[in-house]
Amino acid sequence: MITLSHYLVLGAILFALSVVGIFLNRKNLVIILMAIELLLLAVNMNFIAFSYYLDDLAGQVFVFFILTVAAAEAAIGLAILIVLFRNRRSINVQDLDQLSG
Amino acid sequence: MTNQDILVVLPEIVIALMACFILVLDLYLPATKKKKFGYGLSLVTLMVGAGLSIVYSEPAPVYGLNGLVLMDSLSAILKVGICISTGFVLVYSRGYADARGLWKGEFFALALFGVVGMMVMTASNHLLSLYVGLELLALCLYTMVALRIDSTAASEAAMKYFVLGALASGILLYGMSLLYGLTGTLYINELSASIVRHDGSTLPRTMALILVLVGLLFKIGAVPFHMWVPDVYEGSPTSSTVYLATAPKLAGFAIILRLLADGLGSLATEWQGMLLVVSIISLALGNIIAIAQSNIKRMLAYSAIAHVGFFLLGILTGEVSGYASAMAYILIYAVVTLGAFGVILALSSKGVEADLIEDYSGLNQSHPWAAFIMLLLMFSLAGIPPTIGFYAKLSVLQAVVNAGMTWVAVVAVVLSVIGAFYYLRIVKVMYFDDLATSHPGLQFRPKQDARILLTINGLAVVVLMPWIGKLTTLCEGAIEVLF
Amino acid sequence: MESILFYLFATVLVVSAAMVVTIRNPVKAALFLVLSFFSAACIWMTLEAEFLSIALVLVYVGAVMVLFLFVVMMLDIDVESMREGFARNLPVGALVAGVMVVEFAVVMMSDRFDSQSLPRPAGHGPDYSNTKELGLVLYTDYVFAFEVAGLILLVAIVAAIVLTMRRRPNTRYQSPSEQVKVNKSERLRIVSMPAEKRLDIDN
Repeated sequence: MITLSHYLVLGAILFALSVVGIFLNRKNLVIILMAIELLLLAVNMNFIAFSYYLDDLAGQVFVFFILTVAAAEAAIGLAILIVLFRNRRSINVQDLDQLSG
Repeated sequence: MTNQDILVVLPEIVIALMACFILVLDLYLPATKKKKFGYGLSLVTLMVGAGLSIVYSEPAPVYGLNGLVLMDSLSAILKVGICISTGFVLVYSRGYADARGLWKGEFFALALFGVVGMMVMTASNHLLSLYVGLELLALCLYTMVALRIDSTAASEAAMKYFVLGALASGILLYGMSLLYGLTGTLYINELSASIVRHDGSTLPRTMALILVLVGLLFKIGAVPFHMWVPDVYEGSPTSSTVYLATAPKLAGFAIILRLLADGLGSLATEWQGMLLVVSIISLALGNIIAIAQSNIKRMLAYSAIAHVGFFLLGILTGEVSGYASAMAYILIYAVVTLGAFGVILALSSKGVEADLIEDYSGLNQSHPWAAFIMLLLMFSLAGIPPTIGFYAKLSVLQAVVNAGMTWVAVVAVVLSVIGAFYYLRIVKVMYFDDLATSHPGLQFRPKQDARILLTINGLAVVVLMPWIGKLTTLCEGAIEVLF
Repeated sequence: MESILFYLFATVLVVSAAMVVTIRNPVKAALFLVLSFFSAACIWMTLEAEFLSIALVLVYVGAVMVLFLFVVMMLDIDVESMREGFARNLPVGALVAGVMVVEFAVVMMSDRFDSQSLPRPAGHGPDYSNTKELGLVLYTDYVFAFEVAGLILLVAIVAAIVLTMRRRPNTRYQSPSEQVKVNKSERLRIVSMPAEKRLDIDN
């Protein structure tokens, strides 16, 4: 029998994987952008599971907007990545040393 | 959809339409007229937006569009503040941005869309409208930071801002999803009652609270989620820094108040403790690290972290007077920060960035008026009487003492005295150091409109002092109707 | 049946998500991301979120992932140097992820989310249309969020263009319309010159 907790734990695993992925990847910004997409997938999994078990459509509507915003966010993230690559010829996170911090 | 639905979001509609119009106009006008028209239209739009926010404001909350947005005094005051401060940003950054090729239609459009996002944030009564408003603002800010596409520092700052901002949104959303699962509602004004209704384990709601809090603190840049603030302030072109350092703070205050004080008000005892720790370490870290900075933009970034810590003190009292003092604090902070960045922008000319503190040495000899305005603004940021910055700190401290947390007030005062050091260092460098000889020296050549506004802005921090009590009354009135 | 499907897709999802954040090559990472989105879409299907499930496949696999792959291929990334020192951080990362999962799992399996407080609903009949229900509320109850989302997409378009389009000053552009519009008077000039006098050598 699959309960709500099963879906929530699945979402939690995705959330943990993506957060760790963001901090673990010191070399490749593209993978970090992908990890952000996974993070939003984890959130969406939660919303859809809740929406089903609460029998309430609002959660699905929220996911609809998260998908839209995530697509826009990916476009801007990749645009910034291209600008950065043109300036640095690198997308290595450790090369981001122009700003002391 | 009724008339009332439209009236609730009328300023947003007008500004969004005008931003689209400016974008299209940019395509068809000849290059010489583009800048003038875009600039003029943006300022008119912001004035109209502020005017509409006042004209159609209602003291008690009026809900519109299926309850996704509301209109009350709080949102009206903050919307007016957002429009006016963005107007100041445009006036101040004209000369700077023009010299660097950033003064174009996209700049105006992004600034105006960002204003729409902030207005939606201040007016949201639903987690969904809060989220879309937040993202609209965030996407505009990422782009404005990266706008100087030939600058490595700007694109690095934008990338850091983007990754951490997206992570913060994700964490905030995860918290929101748990809130939704626990309460079955997305309406902020219904959260508070229903989150404590059920019995059973309190662990999930604590986790939801922590995740939402972490997301919010990331967005406003409080310690320990502040890593992006100094890099973004330093790396982005100053015309974008001044934008992201002022108006978004007002919108950030609005969502913190709506989500924590209103939506999660029934869990106040839980978030007060967390906010207490965050605000004290923000005050400590911001004020102490700011001393070591040689770049004035970076110094103002750490100062922003410290000021965020200070206004959170007002929030964590959990009382109307505390919220009102925090609101007055953030409004005054926005005015003073605008002026400080205005001076930096006016001193930066083509090819010269006035961003090192040593550049300011002997400024009093070459440009006494600029130095005097900077002195007033630094005194106000440090909280030295008789400036409005002093009043702002005093009213927050009063609220904290009244809430019975005297030791917190004492710690805040001590840390603010440490903080006064680095503001006074700027004054010392300007007045008592010799004119720098190693470099050509800064030129104070703002455009005429910027010069007038800068003078008003600088003198306001002292001249407004007799009437500043009215601001607190206004803020208290706006917040009382919420509770 | 339900459980078998769930465990199958969940396993694929978790394994492919783990591959995304650990694999060396960004192209392969993008492909694993496609796989994880696809498995997630299948799980959503079992939760009666048919519209979003299809939208996830269409929007993500169809558009966003293509964008990612496009950028990865466009940038000349040195893959070999990408993962130096990665193996060193991996155990720490795995440990952190493990602790996070355990902590979250404790919360998620609390009695607020068990089958007593939120039992699995009966599900809708065959004539229930998820897409129709979503459409009904999207343009009425949530029209405000819908409009703001439109602005977000507009900002994304403006941002992507303003950030990535650059005019190189030393590049010469060809303008076909200008070339076609040219007429004779602009290119051809008839100069009247006096006929050359014949030099008289004798003189």
